[in-house]
Amino acid sequence: MKARAELIAGGVVVAILAAGPYLSPLIHVDLSIVSEVLVTALAVMSVNLLLGYTGLPAFGNAAYFGLGAYGAALSAKYLHVDFIGAVIIGTASALLGGLILAPFLLRRRGIYFGLLSIAFGQVFYFVAYRFTDVTGGEDGMNFPRPLVLGHYAINETVFFYVALAAFVGCLIAFRTVVRSPFGRTLVAIRQNEARVRYLGLNTDRFIFVALLISATLAGLGGALFGLLINFAYPLELDWHQSGFFVLMMILGGAGTVWGSLVGSFIYVIGKDIISTQTSYWQLYLGGLFVACVLAFPRGILGTLLARLKARPAAADSEPHG
Amino acid sequence: MDSAMMLEARGVSKFFGGVKAVDDVSIGVREGSIHAVIGPNGAGKTTFFNTLSGFYFPDSGRVTYRGSEITRMANWKRIVLGMGRTFQTPSVFAELTVRENVMLGVRARAGVAFRLRPPAGEGREALEHRVDELLGFVNLGRSKERLVAELSHGGQRLCEIAMSLSTEPSLVLLDEPMAGLAETETDRIITVIRDLRQRLGLTVLFVEHNMRVVLSLAERITVLDRGKVLAEGTPSEIAANEIVRDAYLGKEALDHV
Repeated sequence: MKARAELIAGGVVVAILAAGPYLSPLIHVDLSIVSEVLVTALAVMSVNLLLGYTGLPAFGNAAYFGLGAYGAALSAKYLHVDFIGAVIIGTASALLGGLILAPFLLRRRGIYFGLLSIAFGQVFYFVAYRFTDVTGGEDGMNFPRPLVLGHYAINETVFFYVALAAFVGCLIAFRTVVRSPFGRTLVAIRQNEARVRYLGLNTDRFIFVALLISATLAGLGGALFGLLINFAYPLELDWHQSGFFVLMMILGGAGTVWGSLVGSFIYVIGKDIISTQTSYWQLYLGGLFVACVLAFPRGILGTLLARLKARPAAADSEPHG
Repeated sequence: MDSAMMLEARGVSKFFGGVKAVDDVSIGVREGSIHAVIGPNGAGKTTFFNTLSGFYFPDSGRVTYRGSEITRMANWKRIVLGMGRTFQTPSVFAELTVRENVMLGVRARAGVAFRLRPPAGEGREALEHRVDELLGFVNLGRSKERLVAELSHGGQRLCEIAMSLSTEPSLVLLDEPMAGLAETETDRIITVIRDLRQRLGLTVLFVEHNMRVVLSLAERITVLDRGKVLAEGTPSEIAANEIVRDAYLGKEALDHV
């Protein structure tokens, strides 16, 4: 019964999103901003899997996001791959980055995991910043959006539907993962890792796979983000960017499937609307965050779901929506 | 090596900085026995326990399980081999229900914890049946759908025992199973521990403070004091031991024997 309610609610959300090209002019938001919401949500999901579900402070996920963007940008500019190729190479770059970092990150827990994540992310940031000849350094690099199969141009409307398809596909995959026995074990690791090990499970193996899924998700988001703005710049890799992803996750609801979209929507749309009104937009956005966190201590969706569950009629054994 | 030995430690030591928490301790736990480790506060009981269960490794000495060395084996592998343990403060997943807690272990044992799809049909029924069986054993069936956080301390302890049984161990290590329990709850746990051996045929090693519990359950007792073995023997031998009496046992406690 609950699964059906979620299916209906999810269907409604996706239907509203699909009408984005018609709805976004009504709120004076460019369609590309709604695309940005969707690709950013992928990066927020990647943080959510590690931090919201597994309890690992993923403070460096911008590294995978930036690897995705630079992977797409560099392959489009220098290898002249098509749109699909750029997405694949960008995502694969992030996965490769995850494969290299995971063995080191696995050895740390808690705040040390967070600090190590930041440190590794900054390494990528400085490479992009300093390797001026290839990456354009501080100025970033722009590149024309590649055609699909070298023929079909992707305009903003088509790009929006590409982003929507990627988002829906990843959301379904994400939901499948967190609801599976594997995902339940990740939640158990967050709550009490020692006990999970004393159930005879090698928690490192679970965390390793979670790290790779997370890197891939962030990489896909980054690759699409790079292709959306036809630009890659070092700040995408920076720890500030990682911080924004964490912020969006908290805003939406840590450990909830749809929270990543809620957080990304409020941050990206809020930033767009407020920044066109005032140059002090960061002040107002900061105020909005404080208000949200005070009103919704478990994130917007997390708090609403908890309130729903508090009603006896909605009693069920799944602790996370 | 004696084949009837379930778990053996030889000359195990563990230091923390300059402090010798466990100093050259040897112990042999016979298959099918209930063995207790006792000693005053700070005697190194829990530290010793942690070296046996691989929570951390000893600085010197050897630990063997059924004759094979496990001194530096990862703790999760020891569980796969057939060891189970509980902690002094019940180590449970407080935000999950009792059923979900036990299910985690049942899934781990069935080798399906890593899967993306939960088993369906008969496979699922077999897992649910196993959960019911374990909860029945610790008499927690009625609390199945309650959150563990809502249970009493004793209930959480029983849930933890059910979890440690879910991996189908041959040997269970219980770290102060009565810590923080009311007298009535203590009796429930005593019955369960007795059943571990009588009904399930398990070997039990436990650390305990409560002398009434130790003397009514244990067949063999190892006394630790300041990190060293002070004495080892049957309850009556330990009760009669002058050194143990002088070192820490109250006379009243021994009058029960």
